[in-house]
Amino acid sequence: MDQSALKSKIKLAILEELDLRGRTEADIDDAAPLFGAGLGLDSLDALQLAMAIEERFGVKVPEGEGSRAVFASVNAIAAHITQATSE
Amino acid sequence: MPGRERIAVTGLGLVSSLGFGADVSFARLCAGERGIAPVTLFDTTGLKSQIAAEVSGLDVAAIAPRGAVQDWSRSDALAFLAAREALQHARHVEGTALGLALGGTTGGMYETERALMQFAPGGIAPQDARRLLDFPLAVSVERVARALGSVVQSATVCSACSSGAVAIALGASWLLSGRAERVVAGGVDGLCQLTFTGFNALGAVDPAPCRPFDAARAGLTLGEGAACLVLERESSARARGVPIIAFLSGWAVASEAHHITHPEPSGARAAAVMLDALRAAALAPSDIDYVNAHGTGTLQNDAMEAKALARVFEPDLGRVWVSSSKAQLGHTLGAAGAIEAAITALSLNRGVVPPTAGLEQPEVPGIRHVRAANQPAALRAALSSSFGFGGACAVLAFEAPNAEARVLTPGMAAPIVISGAASYGLRGLLSGADNSVYVNEPRPPSEPPPEPLSLLHPERSRRFGRTSALVVASAERALRDAELEPQGVGFVVGSAFGDVERSVRFLQKLLAQGPKFASPAEFPQLVASTGSGNASIYLGLTGPCLSVSEFATSGESALSVAISLLELGLAPAVVAGAGEAHDAIVDAVLGGPGRPPRSEGAGFVVLETLPSAQRRGRVPLARLLEHGAWRGDATRAFSSLVAPPASAIVVTGRLPSAAAGALGRSAWRGVRTHALPSLLGFHEALGAVALSVAASEVASGRATQALVVTADVDTLYLTRLEGYEVRP
Repeated sequence: MDQSALKSKIKLAILEELDLRGRTEADIDDAAPLFGAGLGLDSLDALQLAMAIEERFGVKVPEGEGSRAVFASVNAIAAHITQATSE
Repeated sequence: MPGRERIAVTGLGLVSSLGFGADVSFARLCAGERGIAPVTLFDTTGLKSQIAAEVSGLDVAAIAPRGAVQDWSRSDALAFLAAREALQHARHVEGTALGLALGGTTGGMYETERALMQFAPGGIAPQDARRLLDFPLAVSVERVARALGSVVQSATVCSACSSGAVAIALGASWLLSGRAERVVAGGVDGLCQLTFTGFNALGAVDPAPCRPFDAARAGLTLGEGAACLVLERESSARARGVPIIAFLSGWAVASEAHHITHPEPSGARAAAVMLDALRAAALAPSDIDYVNAHGTGTLQNDAMEAKALARVFEPDLGRVWVSSSKAQLGHTLGAAGAIEAAITALSLNRGVVPPTAGLEQPEVPGIRHVRAANQPAALRAALSSSFGFGGACAVLAFEAPNAEARVLTPGMAAPIVISGAASYGLRGLLSGADNSVYVNEPRPPSEPPPEPLSLLHPERSRRFGRTSALVVASAERALRDAELEPQGVGFVVGSAFGDVERSVRFLQKLLAQGPKFASPAEFPQLVASTGSGNASIYLGLTGPCLSVSEFATSGESALSVAISLLELGLAPAVVAGAGEAHDAIVDAVLGGPGRPPRSEGAGFVVLETLPSAQRRGRVPLARLLEHGAWRGDATRAFSSLVAPPASAIVVTGRLPSAAAGALGRSAWRGVRTHALPSLLGFHEALGAVALSVAASEVASGRATQALVVTADVDTLYLTRLEGYEVRP
């Protein structure tokens, strides 16, 4: 998949699954951290996003500490999905 | 009040995975046996944990009254067994008036799930939808009350995993205020796929039997069961000559206002609640010999609780026995607080403490964990702690039956006022005097009201369902109307059904696709305490926050429970009310041709003790002159009503013909009456809207007094108010 289309789908998943009402794709920076400061997301959001990525993209996100690297940013999620689907 | 009387525990009933009956359960518990095995009630394929503490051999058909077998859930049967055992134990004679308070989180969810599995996939046929409303949370109290007979006061409370403990505190309040002479109080929860899948999705379960306080613990193990305590004043127990098992000496209920699933990690809030319970019992930490901990086996709870124990008991921590019963009985959610209260009372009575099974390597040093089976311990007093989802904390303090009598601090006997009011309905969000527009300007507005979610901060209301949005927006407005800061303020919300459509969607997806894609973030929004949890966190309310359920009188029940919290001295002010949103399934079943048109809305008032309002210089809207709940004969309720002054009004919510007839024969017959269902349509929160509107109307001075009358088939509520500044 085209990277920008993939990132757009990831952002849509983030907006919908985490119920970020009033925000749009443009509010999510490709490289900015998603958790902690950034969008103010927490570990419950991380669980939800991990489930949603598997449901929407067919790609597993590692549990616990391993998910931290994947959820570093939209870019990192896109890289994880691209790598997992090309294997 | 010259100090309150002690409350005696005179009966215990307990059904657990270790057996039917308090004696067998306690004996096996103390012996270190574990009632945890592979789940048989439903398919657990694909789940991280496939074990639970099931009550095996529960034969609902043998317990339910003849002809009612289809209507009784496993939870109903568990609750009835525990209540019956406790009453027999207390030598209760049928006919003596009883209060019945039960805590729980899922009611007959298991039966609802079975029904859903029978339906054809896709949309739900109208004739099937009815079955989905057959098991609301309040139904266990209703079934048990009818089976026991002579229940005059009742309530169903949910504060997630502290529900059972809160029900016991509520029962105590009825004894102290004289609303009941004898109370059976406890908690019940049957296993179901909703909670089982939900905790799995949250990653909060251990694939092996849970190991509370162990360094290698990996989560909780779910369980089911029920426990009830019979409570009465010490003088009543002595007069009857019935043995006292233990004393319930104090209690505290409060909220962390932190997060919907995570406990506040420092343990400061939990410790404060434990200390509050000690203060209420006139005990010091040095008087406590045993703590039956919440100890779920999750990483977060046990780490938090170890810190809380240290905060309360250091430098004396090593002296106090600590154990968690969940490694043997599972986490029974809404029943846990009651089951563990029963265990704590039995430990004090028998001088033996149950172990924490599965504990090999304690994570935190310095805690005196009970490791051995049948550990003897001479106990003077003990705490039973419960810390639930949404930060709902409850701690009960018990004393051994030979404890010496001493003066206990009474609860607040101060007058109660209404210091703020708000509602959401056809005209949107209204507060203060505007709120009475519904009785003064009955024409419907031309504009539709704003969407409930649009009234809230988008980031802080993420995942709120429509009911939560109605509730939180209205409660926020009532709080602002009262000019009240949220610290220490309590919250009670009534809800009849919760978010049925959303729960059904979650379950249908689970049944169709398996548990893999069960949403972890959705689950905490589907439990019965969602409304109070969301409100506590959104508004920063740190007093006791709970949900109550009672069919069409859920709002009235919330008001009653809020008054009890004030009478117990658990908070200086409580935001109380109810909200009910449109729900496709509820509207399809309860609306339709030949029935009153269904609507949606919410009503809230701030109830406050008069001294609290005076201290902060707030002139209340109204003074609460009387409030009462009756079960059974409606005429009795009106018999003590004094005649109305000039310019009084009656505001009615739902009012079946028997209650309307009784009103028409009362001292208030002929008084100008505003019937809210004809003005606003019908929903289950209408009783709370009626109170909110009545408070606004007497505050405006247009009416001197208002009598709010609402009823359902078996229950009737009367609330009489007068304007604060227009005292005759």
